[in-house]
Amino acid sequence: MSFDQVAEIIAKTAHCNAADIEPDTSLEALGIDSLKAITLLFELEEAFDIEIPNELIAQISTVQDILDRLDGVDS
Amino acid sequence: MMRRRILITGVGAVSGLGIGADHFWDRLKAGKSAIQSLDPPIEDTKIALGARIPDYNPDHFFSPEELSLLDRFSQLAVIAAREAISDAGLEDNGAVIESAAAIIGSGCGGKHTDEDTYDQLYRQQKSRLHPLTIPRGMPSAAACMVSMLLGIRGPSFAIASACASGSHAIIQGCMMIQAGMADVVLVGASDAPFTLGLLKSWDALRVATKDTCRPFCADRSGIVLGEGAGMLVLESERHAEHRGARVYGELAGFGMTSDATHITRPDSEGIARAIEKALENSGVEHEEVDYINAHGTATLTNDVAETAAIKQVFGDHANRLAVSSTKSMHGHALGASSALELIATILATQHGIIPPTANFTVADDLCDLDYVPNQSRSLEIHSALSNSFAFGGLNTVIAVRQYSC
Repeated sequence: MSFDQVAEIIAKTAHCNAADIEPDTSLEALGIDSLKAITLLFELEEAFDIEIPNELIAQISTVQDILDRLDGVDS
Repeated sequence: MMRRRILITGVGAVSGLGIGADHFWDRLKAGKSAIQSLDPPIEDTKIALGARIPDYNPDHFFSPEELSLLDRFSQLAVIAAREAISDAGLEDNGAVIESAAAIIGSGCGGKHTDEDTYDQLYRQQKSRLHPLTIPRGMPSAAACMVSMLLGIRGPSFAIASACASGSHAIIQGCMMIQAGMADVVLVGASDAPFTLGLLKSWDALRVATKDTCRPFCADRSGIVLGEGAGMLVLESERHAEHRGARVYGELAGFGMTSDATHITRPDSEGIARAIEKALENSGVEHEEVDYINAHGTATLTNDVAETAAIKQVFGDHANRLAVSSTKSMHGHALGASSALELIATILATQHGIIPPTANFTVADDLCDLDYVPNQSRSLEIHSALSNSFAFGGLNTVIAVRQYSC
């Protein structure tokens, strides 16, 4: 799971430009509300064939959080 | 207290006849049918005909973000709703839009979303589904999206009564104006039924023709499905006059009944009672009705029952009034048909032109009224009725008349 891969998925969900996304960009700043966050998790699960437990959702607020928390999550 | 008069001040139409009420009306009065072979065909179904929207590209109407929430039936609803609001001259009137109501019917709801989901689950054996499946597919999705994208903040909800969903939604809007709950309501219906599951299901009912839609003809052989949305802006007379609105005509009244007999076979008694109630409710005299936009599905049972009901209610006058089924041109767009047909009815009244029953060959022996075959007709229409009947014997009739202050 690379930063570029995650940024592409976020850009698709948030309908923004992947080049504008930095590791410390907050999901809120990208306009990702609760429903879009769930959609983002779905896209991440699809892309990396992983299962993201609900408990992890509260720990994700930036792009770097996604990389830190989800890399290594069991498929 | 005198009942509040209700005026039609805006219309929006999306159908096989094109996008926009102008296209809709131009082709109806020219007798041009939108029914054609499904191209591309929908796999593994015997239904090969339909009235689909030509050259429709959702990207021309919505952003990717908006589309992520819009099932096809919601897209059509929003396009027609935007047109109706703009047509009424309200697109820049935020205060009026904000206080308006949106009552949006649908016969089948978000089937594209539902069926895509089931395909992934059952056929593709996927284990996870898209998180927007529920908000896109729910029957009230179109009402939600019309409210959100237009900024309507009064009451908004969906109505489901199969092929009468649009009429029931329109009547609900009328009752809200008459009750003083709203001055402006956006009402109508939307349906997008060209999915594999729905086509197979309609095929199983054995009511879809392989020929074409020929209402009231001896050689009629069933329905042709269509898709689309019809939306109308209804307004209290006081409100419309106050802002100087352009008026198409008066929505004079309505009748609703249920057959309580059979889930699919229409009953002429129930239909006749609905027509009588519409006349009584509107104060329109029998002899004032010059035109009836028929339900006219071209099934064996509907057209005979509907004809019998018209003759029962109108007696000798049944032979003097004109009856046509515009389903012969826009197809049977389920709940949306009833809204599209009221638009056809009010435009006919406004212009003094009766759209024909297209594809007409020879009348059935039991269908012996004037069905305006194939060619539109100029005629002053004082009052007109729009009939819509649904499975379950749910009957609606809406009466309109020319508007005079």
